[in-house]
Amino acid sequence: MTLIRQYLKAIWSGRKLLVYTFLLCFGLLIYLPFLMIALKSIGRGWFGRLWLPPELSLDWYRFAIEVTNIPEIAKNTLIIAGLAVGMATLIGIPTGWAFGRRNIPGKELLMAMILLPRMIPPIAYALGVAQIFYRLHLINTHFGVALAHVAICAPYAILVLSATFEGLDERVLEAASVCGANPLRTFFHVIVPLILPGILSSMIFTFTTSYNEFTLTLMTYGKDTITLPVRTYIALGEGYWEVTSAMSIILVVPSLLVLFMIQRQVAPEKLVGGFKGV
Amino acid sequence: MKRGSGLRSGLVTLLMLLPGLAGFFGLFFYPMLVAVVRSLRPEGQQVGWTLEHYTTFLIEPRAQGVIVLTFVLSISATLCSILFSVPLCLVLRQKLRGHRFFRLTMLIPRVVPGLIGALGLLLLFGSRGWVNLSLMRFVPFINEPVRINYTIPGLILFYTWLYFPFTAVTTLSTLESLDPAIEEAADVAGANRWQVLRHVVIPLIMPGILAGSVLTFMAAFGAFSIPLVAGGNYRPLSVEIYKQIDLTPMRWSAASARAMIMAALQVAFLTIYMRILRRPAA
Repeated sequence: MTLIRQYLKAIWSGRKLLVYTFLLCFGLLIYLPFLMIALKSIGRGWFGRLWLPPELSLDWYRFAIEVTNIPEIAKNTLIIAGLAVGMATLIGIPTGWAFGRRNIPGKELLMAMILLPRMIPPIAYALGVAQIFYRLHLINTHFGVALAHVAICAPYAILVLSATFEGLDERVLEAASVCGANPLRTFFHVIVPLILPGILSSMIFTFTTSYNEFTLTLMTYGKDTITLPVRTYIALGEGYWEVTSAMSIILVVPSLLVLFMIQRQVAPEKLVGGFKGV
Repeated sequence: MKRGSGLRSGLVTLLMLLPGLAGFFGLFFYPMLVAVVRSLRPEGQQVGWTLEHYTTFLIEPRAQGVIVLTFVLSISATLCSILFSVPLCLVLRQKLRGHRFFRLTMLIPRVVPGLIGALGLLLLFGSRGWVNLSLMRFVPFINEPVRINYTIPGLILFYTWLYFPFTAVTTLSTLESLDPAIEEAADVAGANRWQVLRHVVIPLIMPGILAGSVLTFMAAFGAFSIPLVAGGNYRPLSVEIYKQIDLTPMRWSAASARAMIMAALQVAFLTIYMRILRRPAA
């Protein structure tokens, strides 16, 4: 017993070290997979029990860009993500305003309903979406794939925007009108600057969601609308891990850059939150 | 006059809600309906009703294995993320040097596509990956690579890697909204740090942990990209659904029936979970 106590005491006195070891392990666990992908993508002849690739080359990147036509696929991805962001924002602004600032009977229930697509596994309704799109000939069009993404992006935009609009202080608007601003002026000089950060963060989040979306794209893509995640999946199936790694690096660097760029402006924690109320 | 304006404002509200509702019904409700109807039709036909897709799937002994596997994976991933997130959040809360960096690190599995996470983990834990190399190098009695990829523990590890941020973020935000006065009070009352943690902090952040774990569970239950590329012979429900339409001819009805079973199971499990969560609070 005393031995255990002594042992615990020793651990306790070294707790600072313990904490840092824990954090180090955590950091390694998160970042090492990306390091492995990066090494794989620039390595050549990396077989057997070697810690590092014996020679370096950029061939896999050249291969990825030339043979798998990455520029074209990146263009598809960006067009689709742009369309999805546009549509989700157009849906999110009025609906978010209604949720944030107007009296709606049964608001909680309605909100739960709107958020339902985020609770049901995407593959379940992706099946229905795909069947409808086949009938409407929306498969293999940029608009169709983007529309499918809206199913996931729109609830998100509505949630973020309604929180933004709810935070708009009535007294500020009153102050503006007391100071003699007409409604138009109030709108452009008071409301817009106040809600712009919220709209921007909603757009960034919907963009990352659409950029990374795999399930819904897989069900609705065609040969002209292959996106980066789908192409990565196909390449993985083809078994060229080096090329897949190079493509993954091309795909993942923008998302990481966005994350590190936006972290000061908006709380990126919102990215995973959603319904704390559940 | 007043009633008129009330009606008008109601109409305006409805008009504002319209885009959201249109999105919901057009892109979620109607597709679900189509899938339900399709799951009840004979394969490849537009008329007639049948339950055969449900019965044939549920009778298969393999189906029970698939369902059990899905639950085992998602529940163990949820438990692992709780066990991992709580110490992590307690550490991050102390605002050590560089805690901002680790906060950001915590989000990375959520902002990169799951496929890429899976690829990196497969490389890292593969038989020639760094984990196995260091195990063979530094741990005695391990001379052969340990098989981690394409096994159930490996899959649980991958799931945890990908989905723990839901739990961690919610736990951390609950921890930070905790009033420090409560802990000080416990401290003044003579509790040591372990007691404060065990009897004050953990019970207070429990709702946050559980709410986060619900998110992790939902994501893990519906996980598709990870088991698709890293599952090997283990196919949870989502992959099982996809395999039905990956064939030619595509078996939409069979896939839809499986999808409905999956959605029903998830809703049922969540309802039970919520009940259990709400009880101590009430």
